[in-house]
Amino acid sequence: MKKYQLGEFEEIVLLTVGVLYNEAYGVAIKEEIESRLKRKVSVGALQSALRRMEKKGYLDSRQGEANEKRGGKPKRYFTITAYGTEALKYSQDVRTQLWNAIPEVALELKAV
Amino acid sequence: MIKRTADKLFRWFCHPDFYPDIKGDLEEIYKDRVDQKRNLTQVRYALDVFLLFRISLLRPIFKNSMIKDTGMFRNYFKISFRNLMKHKGYTAINVIGVAVGLAAFLLINQYIRFERSYDSFHKDPESIYRLTTDQVVDGQLGTRDAMSFNPSGKIITEEIPEVNAHTLTYNIGSQTIRKGESLINEESVKMADEHFINFFGHTVISGDPKTMLEEPNSIVLTESKARFYFGEEDAVGKTLHLYSSFDEDFKVTGVVRDIPLNTHFKFDMLISISSIKDVLEREGWNAFNYYTYLRIDDGTDIAMLEEKLIPIKNKYLNEGSSLFFNLQPIQDIHLNSSMTFEIEESGSKDAINFLEIISIFILVIAWVNYVNLSTAKAIDRAKEVGLRKVIGAGKKQLRMQFLVEAFLINVIGALVALIIAQIAAPAFNSLVDTPILGDLWKDLTFLKLLGLFTVVGTIISGFYPATFLSNFKIISVLKGKFRNSKSGVGLRKGLVVLQFATSIVLIACTLIVIRQVRYMKSMDKGMNTEQVVAFGNPETMPGDDDKYEEMMGVFKDRLLKESSITSVATSSIIPGGESDEIWSTSGGVKIVGLTDRLEATTYIQVVDNQYFELLDISFIDGRNFIKDNLLDDTTAVIVNQAFLDRFNLADQNVLNEKIQFGRDPENDKYNIIGVIKDANRTSLKKSTEPTCYFYDKVQINSLVKLSPKNVAIGLKKIDEIWSEMFPTATLEYSFIDDRFDRLYKEDRRFGAVFSVFSGFALLVAILGLFGLISFIASQRTKEVGVRKVLGASEPHIVGLFYREFIILIGVAALIGVPIVFFGMNSWLDNYAYRINFPWEVIIVAMVVVIICSLITVSARVLKVASLNPANTLKYE
Repeated sequence: MKKYQLGEFEEIVLLTVGVLYNEAYGVAIKEEIESRLKRKVSVGALQSALRRMEKKGYLDSRQGEANEKRGGKPKRYFTITAYGTEALKYSQDVRTQLWNAIPEVALELKAV
Repeated sequence: MIKRTADKLFRWFCHPDFYPDIKGDLEEIYKDRVDQKRNLTQVRYALDVFLLFRISLLRPIFKNSMIKDTGMFRNYFKISFRNLMKHKGYTAINVIGVAVGLAAFLLINQYIRFERSYDSFHKDPESIYRLTTDQVVDGQLGTRDAMSFNPSGKIITEEIPEVNAHTLTYNIGSQTIRKGESLINEESVKMADEHFINFFGHTVISGDPKTMLEEPNSIVLTESKARFYFGEEDAVGKTLHLYSSFDEDFKVTGVVRDIPLNTHFKFDMLISISSIKDVLEREGWNAFNYYTYLRIDDGTDIAMLEEKLIPIKNKYLNEGSSLFFNLQPIQDIHLNSSMTFEIEESGSKDAINFLEIISIFILVIAWVNYVNLSTAKAIDRAKEVGLRKVIGAGKKQLRMQFLVEAFLINVIGALVALIIAQIAAPAFNSLVDTPILGDLWKDLTFLKLLGLFTVVGTIISGFYPATFLSNFKIISVLKGKFRNSKSGVGLRKGLVVLQFATSIVLIACTLIVIRQVRYMKSMDKGMNTEQVVAFGNPETMPGDDDKYEEMMGVFKDRLLKESSITSVATSSIIPGGESDEIWSTSGGVKIVGLTDRLEATTYIQVVDNQYFELLDISFIDGRNFIKDNLLDDTTAVIVNQAFLDRFNLADQNVLNEKIQFGRDPENDKYNIIGVIKDANRTSLKKSTEPTCYFYDKVQINSLVKLSPKNVAIGLKKIDEIWSEMFPTATLEYSFIDDRFDRLYKEDRRFGAVFSVFSGFALLVAILGLFGLISFIASQRTKEVGVRKVLGASEPHIVGLFYREFIILIGVAALIGVPIVFFGMNSWLDNYAYRINFPWEVIIVAMVVVIICSLITVSARVLKVASLNPANTLKYE
């Protein structure tokens, strides 16, 4: 049984929200991921991941200011919750453990 | 523009909680793209919206639904469901009523559609006509024959421009074919010319459609027959040996898709008609034994075209011949025609129309039940309605509530109907004797109809109760003084009378059909067919008639030596066959010196001297044929009464007068040596055929009378002697009684279908009656209480209710009896030998309805009558 359910894309989004800290809203997250990972992110995929994680309790959100450019619609800022941080930590730990478990030889061979 | 549409779409499907900020994001991204002067920004916007269509972002279905104004819907369903669960008995009655009605309606409908779809699957069915032959004497239409002359199709196509294709076919009848060790009898074999496949547009699986029926001795098989004889290999190029009729090899030249059941022209095998080229040439314009189909340009006036056929007939037939060409649309053949020499027994249009009316009645009865039951429940619901109104429910909302309830009943009913129909499908198939129903849940038309009638049923059955129930006055309801109004009672009684009338009509019709069939089976046919077995003789060996006759003689002698066999006869046809089996001539006939030539069909049968004796057919006058009296009896003829009746000579002595056929005075004359009593060769639906009997020592069929005590031994002996003498031929015998039985198959089927559906109608009507009696009983609880206080006994009170229903049944009978009388009298008129209208049947039907309804009434009324008046009256 998995303790925290966190998909690969979800993890990236969650980390990016962390990176942006207080400035994490839809478009900002999208651009951040696109510039760092050099990959296209659709609004649909991003939004559904955000809402999913909000429902799971990894994210919290607050309504921000509206502006002309957004057609008078407010921004929604996301922040990581304590539970979200735990999930990220857990995921990182699992990876570290796995890294440590790989025999040196395998890595060397790969390097050759 | 694109952006605006995309926006609307997004707003519609997106969860409203998420909408503002996602919309803001979209907007911001769009503006960025515009600033960057990227192209196709609007399309990209729409694409983004499209990608936002994800389950986690969708609007939920009920709360804030995608469909407008549905806030109450969930509530309606919830309340309806609770109500249905609360009154499980009522719900069950309603659901069963709707389900049975719907199932019966849809099953009948399926059957009707099948019967009406005959020959509609051909390529362009409207333009296909069959060329038939009418006999018209002195402007009077006589015999209508489904057959035509073999050269006529070709000539007509050549001479008349509107006719652009033709095909010639012949019904050759069953053939014996060898498969491995065993001989197989193929019943459904036809012959056709090379145009046939393309003319009808049959799907060819293998072989060349243009040429497959060109060469003599070619045979085309259907897919399943090809698989039966040759397995998975390609059948084309293989050979089959046909024993009967030909005793020659036939080359398989094509395989076609199996023929659907809904055509009058069914075949498993198709032989090229050129295989009997010599017969075609010999018969030419002298005999019409063929089925010709023509393709006629769309929009042609058929009456005008038939006019144009008259010069053609005058050119090729004798001048002044009484035969006329007639064109019959192919789709009329199954239900709309009653011709002699039809390929297969056609259906009855009246029966189909009648069934349709029954099915509609059953369905309407089922809906009426719902109306009755739900308005009867009104008292239970009155307080609920009142309270809802107080809280602020509008009429529209209340109506919606009751409509949803009706919808739930109808939907559950439809599901149950589907289950009932599926379970009943095999029984139904055997009832109508055609496998027309398969898996119903895969049958799209069936499901569509089911869906359609669920919705229609909801509206029809739900509307009146919904209006009725939502119209209650708040104040009177909540004061507790609510009573059902009197006005609804009249309507409800009327509906019950309608149900009773339908039940009476259906029961009476069923009984009449059963009686007519029984009458025909038991009627004296003019001959004794008990323990008479008949079978086809082995085929003649070509060019060796003498030897064949000798062999058949030996065969007969050996049979007669057995103690279990009383006599043996031979005949050109076996009694109890279809109408087209007997030979006939339409060339006119006269008794020389006594009568003028009569242009009418005369039937011809060839028999030996044993035939009349074996079947106990009695002579009125004259004598039987005498064996080996060749000098006399090859020109001798025996006629039946019907033959003389037609000349109005019934009482005259016609012995030793001469019969002459045709118009040529040089034609042979036949000496009348005897007159026999009429004997019915085929179904009693038809009157006795005017028949001439000629003599021959050996004919193609044998009749054997077995001694009553040794039937089984007799059959065994026939089999033994046959297989010893004719090892290559198959013996297929049948009892003549069974053959006659089979002729009434159609009528029996009609009777069976009728009885089943009148059973359904009665069942549904009883459910409806239960609804009404519940309603009346609950309304009159207080009255019953008062009566009991004043000293009325329980039987007296029950009697009061009984009386009311007997009156209703009486009214129903007044409506139903004329319908039965006129309907069934005209149905009985289809039969040459019919029963008188059986009035006692009406009484039986009424008694059945009365008993059923009194039992139903008792079930409810006894409860009301036994209530303690102290309880029913305590609120007064």
